[in-house]
Amino acid sequence: MSSSQLPLADDLYLAAHDSARSRCLLTPATLGLGLAAALLAELVLWRRLDVRDNHIVVIDDQPTPDPATAAVLGQLLRESHHRRIRDWISFLATGVATDLVERRLARAGVVQRQEKRGLLGTKVRFVPVDTSVAGWPGTRIRIAAGRGEMLDTSDLVLTGLVLATGLDQHVLVTLEAHERDQLFGQLRRRLPAMLQHLVGHAEAAVGDAVMARRA
Amino acid sequence: MSATTTPARPSQLSTALARDRLGVAAVVFFVMSAAAPLTVVAGVVPTGLAVTGLTAISIAFLAVAVVLAIFAVGYVAMARHIANAGAFYAYVAQGIGRPFGVGASWVALLAYNSFQVASYGGFGAIASPLFADWFGVDVQWWVIALVAWALVAVLGVRDVAVNGKVLATLLVAEIILVAVFSVADLFAPDFAASSAPLNPGSLVGAGAGALLVMAVTGFVGFEQSVVFSEESRDPRRTVPRATYIAVALIAVLYAFSAWAMISATGGQAVERAGTEGPELFFNLASDRLGSTALHLGHALFLTSLIAAMISFHNIIARYTFSLGREGVLPRAFGRTVPGTGAPKNGSLLQSGIGLAVILLYAVMGWDPLVQLFFWGGTTGGIGVLLLITVTSLAVIGYFLRHPSGEDAWHRIGAPVIGTVLLFVVTYLALTNIATLFGVEPGSEPTWVVPLAYAVVTLAGVGWALVLRRTRRAVYEGIGLGARSATTGYSFSEAVK
Repeated sequence: MSSSQLPLADDLYLAAHDSARSRCLLTPATLGLGLAAALLAELVLWRRLDVRDNHIVVIDDQPTPDPATAAVLGQLLRESHHRRIRDWISFLATGVATDLVERRLARAGVVQRQEKRGLLGTKVRFVPVDTSVAGWPGTRIRIAAGRGEMLDTSDLVLTGLVLATGLDQHVLVTLEAHERDQLFGQLRRRLPAMLQHLVGHAEAAVGDAVMARRA
Repeated sequence: MSATTTPARPSQLSTALARDRLGVAAVVFFVMSAAAPLTVVAGVVPTGLAVTGLTAISIAFLAVAVVLAIFAVGYVAMARHIANAGAFYAYVAQGIGRPFGVGASWVALLAYNSFQVASYGGFGAIASPLFADWFGVDVQWWVIALVAWALVAVLGVRDVAVNGKVLATLLVAEIILVAVFSVADLFAPDFAASSAPLNPGSLVGAGAGALLVMAVTGFVGFEQSVVFSEESRDPRRTVPRATYIAVALIAVLYAFSAWAMISATGGQAVERAGTEGPELFFNLASDRLGSTALHLGHALFLTSLIAAMISFHNIIARYTFSLGREGVLPRAFGRTVPGTGAPKNGSLLQSGIGLAVILLYAVMGWDPLVQLFFWGGTTGGIGVLLLITVTSLAVIGYFLRHPSGEDAWHRIGAPVIGTVLLFVVTYLALTNIATLFGVEPGSEPTWVVPLAYAVVTLAGVGWALVLRRTRRAVYEGIGLGARSATTGYSFSEAVK
């Protein structure tokens, strides 16, 4: 098992899929909201964006080396009159984020495009090439929580988004109470305020989707 | 989310977000299906005639429509400015104060649950004789109610909503059916155009409050239009238009069909409603339309009632979800099933209440039609009337403190007129409960219902004050619903 880490949104995508049955554990809408926030968080980690109150500020317009985040950054620069975080999360969640992440995972050879012909036309889905790689992000958080180890910032955001999307009911369900407390303590103390804010917006967007029957 | 400058090329973001947005027709459909027209016309009106002995129901529908339209001016205006606009308590929390907001949220839970359990009773009572007629089987009302309950409970927990197209088809069929049957009433053998249903004098006479509550009950659901404030194509136009159109359509449809029904009885409305119950609506028209139309009408009556139950159950589950998300109810209610987005615990709570009430009525042998369907429905109607009244007051309060962005008519004019009218209606309603329930003045239902609402309000206020002392962050988030970025469920709880 390699300990090399995938980009944050890829980790979230894998955590959101049952690797044994390659089934998505979230509704497409909720998955989209989580991945949207994850891509924005990646840009924060790339030091391209800041999150201030309810707005996004581009602090560096250099394209990122990674095509997925570069595409989002490009879009942000083209649409400079839209800066509300919630608008961007909603927009990226319309399928843009899921699409970008699936393509990035396929390029990296982590997932494979699979076509399934059915009665109602062809269904495209992406399945993990190696199930142990696919299960790794969730396992990593659980192991760190179990051993009381410190997570890096990317994994802290991942943990936050796991909670915000309700994935914790799958990913963190086996944790003991003290492990959970330890994990939450890390989020509280070590996740930068800007990213806490971003995850909070993602969680609010997930809740709003439920209220408006879009979830 | 309007752009401050006109973009040089069409914005992909705006276009993508606009694609999912709803137009006027979609919102009207949603609102009217929550109002369940056939249930009101065939269920509430005849039962109301029988229980109260009052016939001036058409004018009551029209009067209530006017009051609600005036109320809606300020209501939809405020919806543009606040989060969680679908819930009355959000208005109360921001316009009057958070403690009364929590009180209002609990009143709403009680009122909406009354409607839901009422519909189980109505379904059982109405379906039981039909099953005997169609299949020759004699089934107790509560057996049928439990089957309907189980269906709603299973679909609710899996969050299977009735497909929008199915709902729209059912609704259109319902409206056509009500219209056709009402026109057929005009040719009934005993038809004699009656002025009693339209007599404005009865709105100031004895029993006026009872009539008004019945009418309000018929409109419940219209308040859901604002759920889509942020989802609509044009927040300034779509929701207000949809609300006024829905209220007007409902008013005209109900007023006409009630008038036609009462006129067709040739002055025997109260007596015939007493013996025939919900069948009155179908019997009167069947003389002209024949038995096929009658069976079709009955089948549609049952399917539309089921659709209404499922929709309403989902509304309650989401309401509970939003309160759980805020921490006003236990956090567990703010959880959903990840794979479906279903607000599971809210749904289970509602189903638990439904089951308890059906079993209670079955064991006690109480009457499902009058004592569950009609009393439950009108109890809910009283609750919603109280909520609308307090919300109207809250709109004034809110705009006094946040006057920007709306003109004086939206901020002060309409809300003040609406509030005064609503206080009059509420006063009449509370002093007329005996007539409404068809019981002796001073008997149990006349004080149990207002007392229940008072107790629930005070308990909510008390709980809010406890939260203010012990959990400040939760208190601050009251009324913000799922939206609040600081008081959501698990992540925000974890980092608090």
